[in-house]
Amino acid sequence: MIEKGKISASQMSVMMYHAIIATGILFIPKTVFDAAQQDIWISPLWAFPLGLLSVYIAYKLHKLYPDDTIMQYSEHILGVFFGKVIGFILLLLLYTSISVMVWQYGEFVVSEFLPHTPKYVVIGMMILLCAFAVHGGLEVIGRLSEMVFPVFFLLFLVIVVLLLPDIEIKRMLPVMENGIMPSVKGSLALYTWFAQFGIIYFFLPYLTNREKGMKWGGISVLAVTITLVLTNIIVILVFGRVTGNFTAPLMSAARYISIAEFLSHLEAIVMAIWIAGTFIKICVFYYALVLGTAQWFNLSNYRSLVLPTGFLIGVFAIQAFLNSAEASEHFHEVSHGLTDTLVYGLIIPMFLLSIAYIRKMKIFKQKGREKK
Amino acid sequence: MFNRKKFKFNRNKERQIDEEVLKPLYSNLEKNTEVLHFLYEDCSDVIFRSFVIADQIKAQLVYIKGMSNIEEIDSNVLTPLMQQTDQKSINPRLLIEQRVSVAEITKIESFDTCVEQLSVGNPILLLDGDQQGYALGLAKWEKRAIEEPSGELVVRGPREGFTESVEVNTSLLRRKIKSPQLKMKTLKVGSYTQTTIMITYIQDLSDETLIEEITQRIKRIDIDGILESGYIEELIQDNSYSPFPQVLVTERPDTAVSNLLEGRVVIVVDGTPFVLIAPTTFYSLFQSGEDYYHHFVISTATRWLRLIFLFISLLLPSLYVAVITYHQEMVPTKLLLTMVDSREAIPFPALVEALLMEITFEGLREAGLRLPKQVGAAVSIVGALVIGQAAVAAGLVSDPMVMVVALTGIASFTIPRYNIAIPFRLLRFPIMLLAGTFGFIGIMMGLLAIIIHLSTLRSFGVPYLSPLAPMKRRDMKDTLIRAPLWKLNTRPHLTGEYNKYRQSSNQKPFPEKESGEE
Repeated sequence: MIEKGKISASQMSVMMYHAIIATGILFIPKTVFDAAQQDIWISPLWAFPLGLLSVYIAYKLHKLYPDDTIMQYSEHILGVFFGKVIGFILLLLLYTSISVMVWQYGEFVVSEFLPHTPKYVVIGMMILLCAFAVHGGLEVIGRLSEMVFPVFFLLFLVIVVLLLPDIEIKRMLPVMENGIMPSVKGSLALYTWFAQFGIIYFFLPYLTNREKGMKWGGISVLAVTITLVLTNIIVILVFGRVTGNFTAPLMSAARYISIAEFLSHLEAIVMAIWIAGTFIKICVFYYALVLGTAQWFNLSNYRSLVLPTGFLIGVFAIQAFLNSAEASEHFHEVSHGLTDTLVYGLIIPMFLLSIAYIRKMKIFKQKGREKK
Repeated sequence: MFNRKKFKFNRNKERQIDEEVLKPLYSNLEKNTEVLHFLYEDCSDVIFRSFVIADQIKAQLVYIKGMSNIEEIDSNVLTPLMQQTDQKSINPRLLIEQRVSVAEITKIESFDTCVEQLSVGNPILLLDGDQQGYALGLAKWEKRAIEEPSGELVVRGPREGFTESVEVNTSLLRRKIKSPQLKMKTLKVGSYTQTTIMITYIQDLSDETLIEEITQRIKRIDIDGILESGYIEELIQDNSYSPFPQVLVTERPDTAVSNLLEGRVVIVVDGTPFVLIAPTTFYSLFQSGEDYYHHFVISTATRWLRLIFLFISLLLPSLYVAVITYHQEMVPTKLLLTMVDSREAIPFPALVEALLMEITFEGLREAGLRLPKQVGAAVSIVGALVIGQAAVAAGLVSDPMVMVVALTGIASFTIPRYNIAIPFRLLRFPIMLLAGTFGFIGIMMGLLAIIIHLSTLRSFGVPYLSPLAPMKRRDMKDTLIRAPLWKLNTRPHLTGEYNKYRQSSNQKPFPEKESGEE
């Protein structure tokens, strides 16, 4: 196998938690608010089954081909040529997906904290750091996410607690003013994030305890849902109807924390720790991309691909959007349609799984015929 | 050209010596003496004493001056052997058994064991007409007494420390572990020094493959000399480019024994009081042996204190620089006003100021370390001037900066082991640069880079950051906290199979219920 390291199912779960939450915690409230208004906290609950479905499909495929990642079993299922085509599409989608993530990171850091620093410096530094981690392999990323998780989660809880003096219950009322539909519509935007759970098809073969893959995947989806519900509740309780005016409402809320004159203006610390989460997120996808590319080319080692891939991601990320206005228009357009993450996280695996089942049935029928 | 010739000449002589050494002893005393004379040519400290046993057999006693006990040679070897005897023909071997009153006598048959015995200080007795020599266990040389180790002081705990002698060190271990399952394997490393290296472990507690791996790594070493255990450490560690120590170094026998009991391997090197313990993890480098001698609440608190000060020693100057340069809004207004006031007259940016002071401080510390004691006092006087009010008055640095540097200095002294404090002292500087260029984001990037590096490290197969990453829930009880002794029922898991239970459970002490009171 190309990756010799092994991670535990719980490590994978923590990795995926970071991979979804890191950007989600900042950008989801605003994205969902456009459709769901004060019901944004209900939306994650509707998206929860979709996340589970992504995990379930990836797990089912893993059950059929326990030692392979999607790049390998797509060839088993569709044949070498069509398998490679699907793999190529998948890699391209991953490229765009990561580039958007890195762009978001760069744009956010530059606009909020380092206005005079060129964006390529910020992006380049992050990619270099990620390349260092990806070069270390899957085990390193697993351990890193385990180290970062307690800090990240503790900080999240601290922010929530410190924001409690500023909340007002009436801001989230009336609940379900226009029935169930606004929150369901809001959850459409969340599919972009929840479909990313599908990426575990790159990690399942490298688990030490494979049978627990589904369980811990599910726990990860649940943890993400709970975190998002909590985030959205606190954001709506603090900002109410003006939530839509902020790009990153939780970060803006952190600015309002002021306790005893001393604990004030915490956003720089929040930012620093958020960066740690984003770092894990980018690492997870970057690693998946590098591993996938190496398997697509049938290489024996993926490490030589780390830096070239990083360079490509950097170039893509800088070129992704001209400015945040263009980006938000893009997100607005795609968030109600078929997004790239939905394609690689859910649709392609679903397609592969159905083909695999059909072929299996055929084989059974043939065997049945032979017996007759 | 000249050098090369000289080198060649030496090589020739060396080869000849190699050939001679491998030969067995001759039965002719003259010939044996000749070979030994050839081997120890120009060695004025090697004494050859020829004498006659009971007026009949010629004999040769060889020893190295200052390494053997001369009084005992006189009274227990020479005097009894040179006495007259009534017997006409004597059996020399029997005579030695009868008369030489020395506890340890080793028979030698070849010149290389001869050289080996001589170099540890054992005198050698050669007889005419006998193909066998005798090494007498009369080695005695000056060695330091057992003292309290100056590098690892404790308030409560044994006051003894290892010394430079490997025999003393292993005896210290054996005195604590009486079980015969304490095993010691001896290896000799160094083509010239032939340094004794003892691989010490407890059978059934240490993983067989681990012992095998360590033995293999030490055997692979081909070097002219081993002067300190640092040589071994550098030649056997997994990642030799990492500034982080991957082997635990200690001077304390109790620390070594507690690690032996956890299934680790202790490597004792002759000539140094520092023994190596492998494998080790990042967290064990912050633990002191004393943690187990105090109440567990106190020990847990101390561990957290060390952890906090570890971060202070790594990050405080960087945080200060970042806050002053980029995130002024985080400082409470009143404090900010004072800080601005004191910084007003300073010509440097905060980063330059911090670098200047930190480098000065490191210089002072290094100066204080190496100077003779008489001059040391001068350094502390000058140091107080450099990092103190005088520097502020001169307009070079601001008051808060002096505070920051002093606090960083104290923080780096709280780390109980010197070798783990060094990488953090070093890494402080690049993080300061990052803080000066990117603020908090730069600090986070630096920290992440360090954590990535630590995650890639392994010490003899054990992940360096375990048991936190990868998480081993059972081993967490002795990492960030020190659970009560009656809870520490299992050994930490290192690699492979292990002997899990170290004590029986339910040992929490409780008073006997008295029936009368109810």
